[in-house]
Amino acid sequence: MKTSTRLQSGVAALALIAAGVATPALAQDVTLEYWVYSDFAQGDALALQQEFISEFIAEHPGVTINITGKGDDDLTAGQVAGAASGTLPDVFMNAAGVGAQLVSVGALSNLYDQWMAMPEEYRAQFDEDALNICMPNPGELYCLPYTGFGSLLFRNLTVLEKAGIDTTTPPATWDEWLDQMKTIKEAGFYGIPDQTLVFNSIAATYAMAGDESNWGIDWETRTTKIDPEVMTKVLQMFVDMVPVNSGTSRNDQATKDLFISNQLAYHAIGPWVDPTYRQAAENGLDYDYVLLPSVREGDHGGIKSYEIIGVAPGDNQEIAFEFAAFITEKQQMVRWAKLLSRYNANAAAMADPEVADLPLIARSVESVKYALQTHPPYFVDTVPNCYLSTIIDFASATADGEYTPEEGAKEMIDELNYCLEG
Amino acid sequence: MPARRHLPHYLMVAPFVILFAVFFLYPIGSGLFYSFHDWNAVKPATFVGFDNYARILSSRDFERAMWNLGTYIIITVPLGILVAFGLALLVDSFTGAWGAFFRGAYFLPVVLPAFLAATIWRWIYTPNFGLLNMILGWFGIESINFLNDTSTMLYSLIAVDIWISAGFNMVIILAGLKNIPSELYEAARLDGANKLQQVVYVTIPMLGPVLFFVITYGLISAMQVFDKPWLLTGSSFTSYGGRRNALLFPVMDMMGRAFGAVKFGEAAAYGFLLTIAIVFVTALMFLVRNLRAPR
Repeated sequence: MKTSTRLQSGVAALALIAAGVATPALAQDVTLEYWVYSDFAQGDALALQQEFISEFIAEHPGVTINITGKGDDDLTAGQVAGAASGTLPDVFMNAAGVGAQLVSVGALSNLYDQWMAMPEEYRAQFDEDALNICMPNPGELYCLPYTGFGSLLFRNLTVLEKAGIDTTTPPATWDEWLDQMKTIKEAGFYGIPDQTLVFNSIAATYAMAGDESNWGIDWETRTTKIDPEVMTKVLQMFVDMVPVNSGTSRNDQATKDLFISNQLAYHAIGPWVDPTYRQAAENGLDYDYVLLPSVREGDHGGIKSYEIIGVAPGDNQEIAFEFAAFITEKQQMVRWAKLLSRYNANAAAMADPEVADLPLIARSVESVKYALQTHPPYFVDTVPNCYLSTIIDFASATADGEYTPEEGAKEMIDELNYCLEG
Repeated sequence: MPARRHLPHYLMVAPFVILFAVFFLYPIGSGLFYSFHDWNAVKPATFVGFDNYARILSSRDFERAMWNLGTYIIITVPLGILVAFGLALLVDSFTGAWGAFFRGAYFLPVVLPAFLAATIWRWIYTPNFGLLNMILGWFGIESINFLNDTSTMLYSLIAVDIWISAGFNMVIILAGLKNIPSELYEAARLDGANKLQQVVYVTIPMLGPVLFFVITYGLISAMQVFDKPWLLTGSSFTSYGGRRNALLFPVMDMMGRAFGAVKFGEAAAYGFLLTIAIVFVTALMFLVRNLRAPR
């Protein structure tokens, strides 16, 4: 009996000790799954991400963070499927443009309360436009703005000089730019890629003639905000660019090769091509980057877009938010910007003296002041495929002469409204 | 008692039946269920009857995707098999190392990852200075924007598809050719048959079952075409199908509805419509073969 009692007490004591030890450990032993774009999970970018993770873990013992890189579509598909199956990553990147899909499937937590609990000093760091994207309604915040870009106009200075163009000042207006491109074509080079083949290059061109008030979607009435007069002007620009374009899209590898091999004068795109061009510069490529001109002097075209950090609902939501807040905080964003020389949504980081003077960042900061969002507003409703494809179709068809710019603009807008009606 | 006697048999088939039920029957049943529901994969599904099917059947994208698919199948399946058959005859005429070399060379595109094949072809099709346009330029033909001109996009895809699939079909047909007894050709030659007549009267009839497999497999694959047009048009879940949807196909449309528009109920209905079409075509193929089979 005694033996049995002793045994029972021993087991109970062991259980208590085990529970005592295990309870605090369980509270801290958390593994966060962190999904990023694949280019954030390789090379120097991965090394820096891992540094952030190590620093966070050092401050939060017991937390493990697994970083996984995924391509654009895999990222979205994985998050949608993860929301359905309860296997969402805890913290993840994606484009602000797919925010509405992610909210609709419940992949994004409303972080508003946690955000408001953060010190004012932290909350004031972010670019206001970028932050507003994440806040579709009062009391809602579905993401923390992270990285981003503004359109830049890369200029091949060798081509421009061979065509006899003064490279000291960039084209101030669309008319001036078009004249330059005609001169370039006459000199035997291509002016620009075909701007009608990719939605973002159409949007960047639209921004040269339009503004926020006539771009995007009015979800209340489910109609496009595109103004027929502005679109007519834009379609006329595409018609004017036909004789000077290379026929390749802005995203084609062939476009970069044309630029590097001194056959293409201008490439309007985001800053991500800069590492390639910088490497080519070691072999003689002479280039720079300026802002896209506008139809109005002193104004500029181009688009801007942001990548976001989202946090999944669930048991790890709090610590996941802490991690998201840590990586988007100024100090980390300064290091990120310095490493990659890339713009991000932390305005305080962009204003930091160590970063603000980096040429690509300085130009990007300037660019986003003028640029339009790609298809605003985000986080409200899912933009149907037909919306983007209709814009591409009518832009290309008008450039090909199937419609006059007036007809193209009118039919495009009718078609867009039909598409939005669903 | 009989149940107990057959217990070992049931146990032996159980692993297959369980896996088949979990990974095949359950997803099919679940897909059928959701095809009658408005469901975004997370929120509770709402029964909508045949609305998803009606919405798909009346949508312009579905009409366009089916039209593209029909044209694609009509050209790509017979042409692909003809090319594979020609290559198989050619490779069969080589012996030793040359035979192995050509077999390997023609099969190479089959093992290339789809994205690599698409990248190669995007290069070949590049306007103005792509390989194909350079060759056309030598003959004074103006540059063609193969992947953005709606009149050439489908044919550009078909060329890529045939380039990739010909090697696979060739290997199967080649295996069939090797099984044809040489006496049949000797007898044909003795009867005065020339090369073409030997192909028409000996090779093709003897390859009947192989060709049936290749055609049926080709049809089923063609109906599910996805990766090649997706990659050639640089599609994503929010923008796919290329200019004027000239390269929009049913599986792309289904994927877009699922992961772009987050309408999984509609996507499930789409999947069922496609499955019904595939089962119908396959059944038709078997019916035709049975009707033609000697009794």
